Amino acid sequence: LPASGTDAYEARLVERFRQGDAHALSALFEMHVDRVYGYARHILGNREDAEEVSSEAFLRAFRRAVDYRGEAPFRHWLFGIARNLCRDRLRQPRLLTVPPDEAVGEIGEADQPERRALHADVRAAMASLPEDQQDVLILCDVEEWGAREVAALLGRSLEATKSLLYRARRALRAELTERWKET
Amino acid sequence: MRCIDLKGLLDLYVDGDLPEEVRAGIDRHLLRCADCAFEVRSLEQTRAHLREAYGQAESSPAFREKMAARLERTFEDVIRTEPAQAANQRELPFPL
Repeated sequence: LPASGTDAYEARLVERFRQGDAHALSALFEMHVDRVYGYARHILGNREDAEEVSSEAFLRAFRRAVDYRGEAPFRHWLFGIARNLCRDRLRQPRLLTVPPDEAVGEIGEADQPERRALHADVRAAMASLPEDQQDVLILCDVEEWGAREVAALLGRSLEATKSLLYRARRALRAELTERWKET
Repeated sequence: MRCIDLKGLLDLYVDGDLPEEVRAGIDRHLLRCADCAFEVRSLEQTRAHLREAYGQAESSPAFREKMAARLERTFEDVIRTEPAQAANQRELPFPL
């Protein structure tokens, strides 16, 4: 859906939710679950953590919904909660380290040792970037959200978001070039 | 078109966000400028590696089913904790 269509549909669901329609809550969940989960999966690197964080984000969003007085669309608020939860999770000391999953796609190719090594290099290079650069690369270049939507979600102007994206691409390229120069 | 004219346009070129006539001008420049051609190719390769390493993620049906049940309970809790206000009198937390 284009942003205006998404906004209108989401607004109708929120209105129904306000009037006590539980189906509207389910519909809002279905509407946004893959985006929230996809972001969390890529940032956290494994399914278990991504599911926990996604669950918590939705539960917090709906539990606090009655107190929320923001002006942003629901999904921006929801995504902000998910983003903070991901960052908190990454900063937590872990007793057990969950190994990162293989790439979600390209399952066949990921079985090849050289593809696995390449994926590990890319993930390591990404992890070395600042958080905002990781976010914009995941959202724009992996999940392929529109720059305008990402700008709204990150609370930046469109120009600032594009500028961040372009810097992030070059930073990732520089990291990979450095890693692959050594081998 | 000179190299300096392409500054700031190469990402738009890689993203396919340029008008056809500008894109055609860059195409012609890339045929005779190895530096700019390398810049474009390396940006495209970096993005391709990124997409391959991460892929696109979708939540599983099992997760969505489990969450649907949890959200249903949450909805009942939220409604139950606000008995004083009729649903249509609650202040809407989101802009419509």
